[in-house]
Amino acid sequence: MTDQPMNMNVTRTDDTPLMEPVQIGASLAFWAVFKRELGVFFRSPIAYAVAFGVLLFMGVLFMDYIISNNGRAPAPTQQMPGLLTFLMFLIAPLLTMRLIAEESREGTLETLMTLPMNEGQFIFGKFLAAWAYYTVLLALTLVHLAILASIGVPDWGAAAGAYLGAWLYGGTCIALALIWSAITEDQIVAAFLGAATILVLYLSESLSTTLREQPNLSGVADFVRELGLQAHYGPTMLQGIVRLEDILYFVFMIIGALFITTRIVEIRRWRS
Amino acid sequence: MIEVQELTKKYGAVTAVDAISFTAQHGQVTGFLGPNGAGKTTTMRMLTGFTPPTAGKALVAGFDVFEQSMEVRKRVGYLPENVPLYRDMTARGYLMYLAEIRGVRHRRDRADAVLKRVGLLDRADSRIRTLSKGMRQRVGLAQALLHDPQVLILDEPTIGLDPLQVLELRDVVRELGRDHTLLFSTHILSEAEQVCDSVVIINRGQIVAQGSPGALRGQLERGGRVLARIDTGRESQAAALEAIMALPSVASAQIAIDGIIATPARPEVDPRREIAQLVVEKGWGLTELRPLAINLEEIFLEVTRRQTGSDTQPEPVAAAAESEAVQ
Repeated sequence: MTDQPMNMNVTRTDDTPLMEPVQIGASLAFWAVFKRELGVFFRSPIAYAVAFGVLLFMGVLFMDYIISNNGRAPAPTQQMPGLLTFLMFLIAPLLTMRLIAEESREGTLETLMTLPMNEGQFIFGKFLAAWAYYTVLLALTLVHLAILASIGVPDWGAAAGAYLGAWLYGGTCIALALIWSAITEDQIVAAFLGAATILVLYLSESLSTTLREQPNLSGVADFVRELGLQAHYGPTMLQGIVRLEDILYFVFMIIGALFITTRIVEIRRWRS
Repeated sequence: MIEVQELTKKYGAVTAVDAISFTAQHGQVTGFLGPNGAGKTTTMRMLTGFTPPTAGKALVAGFDVFEQSMEVRKRVGYLPENVPLYRDMTARGYLMYLAEIRGVRHRRDRADAVLKRVGLLDRADSRIRTLSKGMRQRVGLAQALLHDPQVLILDEPTIGLDPLQVLELRDVVRELGRDHTLLFSTHILSEAEQVCDSVVIINRGQIVAQGSPGALRGQLERGGRVLARIDTGRESQAAALEAIMALPSVASAQIAIDGIIATPARPEVDPRREIAQLVVEKGWGLTELRPLAINLEEIFLEVTRRQTGSDTQPEPVAAAAESEAVQ
């Protein structure tokens, strides 16, 4: 393939569209970023690989679980959402590792950050896209609930709480993993550190139990427990107990993580 | 219009841009010239609002780049160095995406209009990764024109293009310069000389010279060296050299490949008259006598040498500068 001569219309005439004044209105920049990014997700192999891996793994465990619990009632609905939240330490970094690291490595971030759009909109659009993909993934796992409903009588209230919790839990993990994609340009490093962060917050409950054995550290132990993801999901929402404080925990974790990510992108821009 | 006052950027202890001041007028092409690592890209990043200055001030289209970054960004079209693009998007898709972020109405029409402007409409639906380097450069330029900005900032737009594409792009830059404030950077001196109405020369983060290419040349042509090609017959060139050096109007002289280069004693002195007389007196033949053409290359070497302070042996560059001037 060869280049044709550039032929750049050097003499502009009145009928070229460029002569029309460009109309510029308000823009929802985050929405543009969200739409593009969601499109990239559904065109990229990684989205399908994650969905395939997660659904296969969950399907095998689900089958095993159905067989071993054959005929028992009521049909427990929390098994699958609980498993999905455990898998978030793998899923979230795979979804987010590319989002900012790639833009900053390829230099496209430089173009974007010279558009009239602030970092917050950019980060929010990226986050929403990953969360939207996760929402689709979560919706696909409802097939397990449908199977349970066809062979038994599920507790719909408990199921609703468990799935709502899994949705918020997933959003929080995505927001946390996104921080690392902003910090490093290396996607592998971003994914690994994202996974580590989520695992630590997942395991903070057992860390808290260990700390509690020291009598003078009970305050620290409580803090560590409350900071962790499982304390706000496993004993409460997963069982169908929807508490406002748990919802607020997830919402504030998401807002906090997105704020940190925004600041990091800003600071990196200042240094570049 | 771009007005830069004492603009400074430091990275820790390293000063990338050191209190530079210059103005780029509307309707002109301003060339930002300097070797690699001189601070051109850093300055452009400050002017586009990508990175904030450490100190100093810059007004772009009347807005402060730091205080009113969003207003500046609405009015600036920027082509970053190396033209970063989304390789998996089509040219049109990419432009429509940026148009949406910018809030441009009638995005598809607008994307097509700028693609037409850069002569790439027939490749609108090609994925960017399948486009050649020159075409990608044009997509980048189209992106900078999307919102019909007052100010265009192009960072090394001709780098990596083949010679024909370079010539075409220079035409476009000249054309766009007529109704924009156009700042473009280059490390190629002849390019700045051909394209720019005004040149700012930067080295090691400092402005070392600025003005129109003609004015810069004028500054150095006074007191410029002359080249004399003398047919000395049976005598050696060394004899001619000795005689020229003895002239009162000549400070020094040396033998170059194509003649003798004489440096005048004082800037206002033109030694050519005395050289001509000398040649006649000696009975030699004078085949050529002319001022050594000074181009931006020489100006650049001159000012950067002054700045580094190594003023020791400037002469060997003459022949190289000469050959460029001839083309």
